[in-house]
Amino acid sequence: MKTQRILHGVSVLGLFLILFTACTKIDYTQIADPAYLRVFNNINYVQTMGSKDDKVPYFCMLINPKTGADGKFTGAEIIGDFLDKRDPYAPPYPSHIGNSTSLSNPEYPGKENVLVGPVLNGFDLSSWAQIPSGEVRIVFAYRPKNTVPFFELEERLRNDILIDTVINLQSKEVYTLHLLQKDFVKKDHGILLRQENFHKLPLSDSLVYVNFYNMSAKGFWEADASLKDDDYKLASFKYGIKDEMNVYMSLYESQEELSHYAATVKGYRGKFMSTIRRNTSSDVVSSYASFPLWASNHANGIRTSIWERFDFFAPGMNPVTNPFYDSDRNTGSNWAVLNCLLNGKVGLTSNENGTLLPNLLVNVHSGKDNPRTFATVNTIEVVNGRVYLTTIQRKYAPPIY
Amino acid sequence: MNRNIKYKMSQMRFIGCFFVYLFISILQSCKHDNLTMPVPNENIRPAADFIHNNYEMRLFDAALQKTGVAMELNEAGPFTVLVPNDLAFNEIGIFRPTDFDKMNKDSLRRMIAYHILPRRLYLRDIPSNAVDFRYATLEGSELYASIGSIMPGATSPSNMLFFSGAKAIRKDVVLSNGVLHVLDKLMKPQFEKNIQEWLSDKKEYTVFVAGLKKFGLWDQLAEKGPFTVFAPTNEALEKKGITMSFLDSAVPQRYIAEVLFGAYIMYDKHFFISDSQVFSIINSNGSYKYHLKDNIHYMEYFANEAYPTWKMSYYMKLRSNDTFYSIILADISYSVGAKMDYLCSNGVVHDLDQGLVSPDQVIKKEENEK
Repeated sequence: MKTQRILHGVSVLGLFLILFTACTKIDYTQIADPAYLRVFNNINYVQTMGSKDDKVPYFCMLINPKTGADGKFTGAEIIGDFLDKRDPYAPPYPSHIGNSTSLSNPEYPGKENVLVGPVLNGFDLSSWAQIPSGEVRIVFAYRPKNTVPFFELEERLRNDILIDTVINLQSKEVYTLHLLQKDFVKKDHGILLRQENFHKLPLSDSLVYVNFYNMSAKGFWEADASLKDDDYKLASFKYGIKDEMNVYMSLYESQEELSHYAATVKGYRGKFMSTIRRNTSSDVVSSYASFPLWASNHANGIRTSIWERFDFFAPGMNPVTNPFYDSDRNTGSNWAVLNCLLNGKVGLTSNENGTLLPNLLVNVHSGKDNPRTFATVNTIEVVNGRVYLTTIQRKYAPPIY
Repeated sequence: MNRNIKYKMSQMRFIGCFFVYLFISILQSCKHDNLTMPVPNENIRPAADFIHNNYEMRLFDAALQKTGVAMELNEAGPFTVLVPNDLAFNEIGIFRPTDFDKMNKDSLRRMIAYHILPRRLYLRDIPSNAVDFRYATLEGSELYASIGSIMPGATSPSNMLFFSGAKAIRKDVVLSNGVLHVLDKLMKPQFEKNIQEWLSDKKEYTVFVAGLKKFGLWDQLAEKGPFTVFAPTNEALEKKGITMSFLDSAVPQRYIAEVLFGAYIMYDKHFFISDSQVFSIINSNGSYKYHLKDNIHYMEYFANEAYPTWKMSYYMKLRSNDTFYSIILADISYSVGAKMDYLCSNGVVHDLDQGLVSPDQVIKKEENEK
């Protein structure tokens, strides 16, 4: 009895101890009427002899900056520092956080620890930051590529502003903001704010959606090849694509056959998808084209191994009338190829001219199935000889181990 | 009773034996090795003392003594000292300490102060594959550090480190008040002097200067730039038929000025010769190819440390255009390290002992047809 009473006493004391020490007051940050914003820096740079003396497009983004008495910036409501050039692949969840030790941020919010969007109509918006809605002033300031936060830099390094403008954001809307080169010859820069609509569309979860943009600078494809990034991985995209292009898609049966001669899904060889026009100013969302997730006869309703190849052809050409050799890289900007398979790092072994990006389909452990293939909503953007893929994914059932 | 005592006795004997054995074993186990504690090395000297006691750095030491920087360098610091070895001084014609007496003491002091950073900068502090990473010097201006890192983080990494074009041939020598790197040549900052001022001071480039003036390329060299100029000497131009008397009689409109004299100028670039070496490590491509300002002639530039001397050399190949079958107008190389990398306020100047084109190679088409 006695020991029992002591035990009771001790446990009650322990409970109190835990209760009182555990009480830390947390002030949750809240944004009353948020819009959801994701920012990409599409201005690319390469480290070569020729570009040694060029200014590195490495920025600090300031939203609603505060200015001191002398008109210099002293702080901002939202700071997106260390904004680097964007990654070729923008994954459906902010995976950068756990995958690198570098401060450089391939997108905003990216690695920033900020309030992010909710799950909206089934779409996980954790890659979109919450931003106060209404008119906000947005500034992109050049900064040196180092690890010193913007407002700890010397004053003289904080005055080089690329863009200082006002954007209007509506409450609970989803936006992507692109920092772009608008004119390749004059080296003009600007921004493009696009109000996304994927969360409002009645999209089926057994169809894979993709839309296309060409946000290249004016005069890029016409420019001399020596002025373009010398990167063999860009393959046929290096020289840029013409201002109007038709996109055709082929669905290949298996990611294990790394060849553009491999078997395609019936009905999906050189299928017309969309027409894209070069555009660096209009914020209109391109319409989504789609293909069935289970297009292949080999799919079992849980997993499929199909991958996508996109051919961009100038009007008048198509996969049947294609006048070029499969391995031609310099096609006069008339034909460019994009292969979307595996993780976007494994090239085809056949002699062809495609650049690489990850597969549009997402395979993850969900429920009892490991992996299970999910349909996604995608955006493919061509910017000055580079191609970028943004994948948005729906919420899926958690894995059961 | 008797039995009881006997038992106790044996017990005590047992305990006694136990303790004896224990004692012995304790003594046995106590093997007193002479433990050496890592004592900080008290023989590490401050910067000036270290340099003073190093036979490879006698001339730099003499310069430190002469300018009085030596006193400063023995203070608390921290300092990073970039020491050109004696060979580097020999290359620019300084062989004994008294040679410094011919020089202006203040400008020597400035030059020496440019070789000292008021910080402790180890190799590991410079970001790998950094190009033109700037550090403030004791002089007040900035120097440019570039590093090409092969296998950074590996057990035997290879790092090519350059300061304003001079290679660090020995890195991370620890001093009590900083760190020291040995350079294979002097850094040659010209401080406030721009390229125009620098060129007009030198009598070996008078023909080049006169040519630039005559062909309307001179004024721009006082502007912001940056430029990289490969300055041909008078003898070099003479071999190509360009002399003062030629310039006096020449009609500028007859020639393509952007090639005749513009070929020696790279616009919007400031290249140290070592940059090619750094970029060939960073992205396997240290060459720079560009059209001259006439948009037809094509230059291929490259530099590396080449067999058999392993001296840093640069190569320029001028072609009539950028096609495969173009005519090669000039194909030159240059490897006098001591006369490269004059860092002016608006670019870099390198000496060149060969001319690129002769006037009759760049006569304008219309003129030719007449």
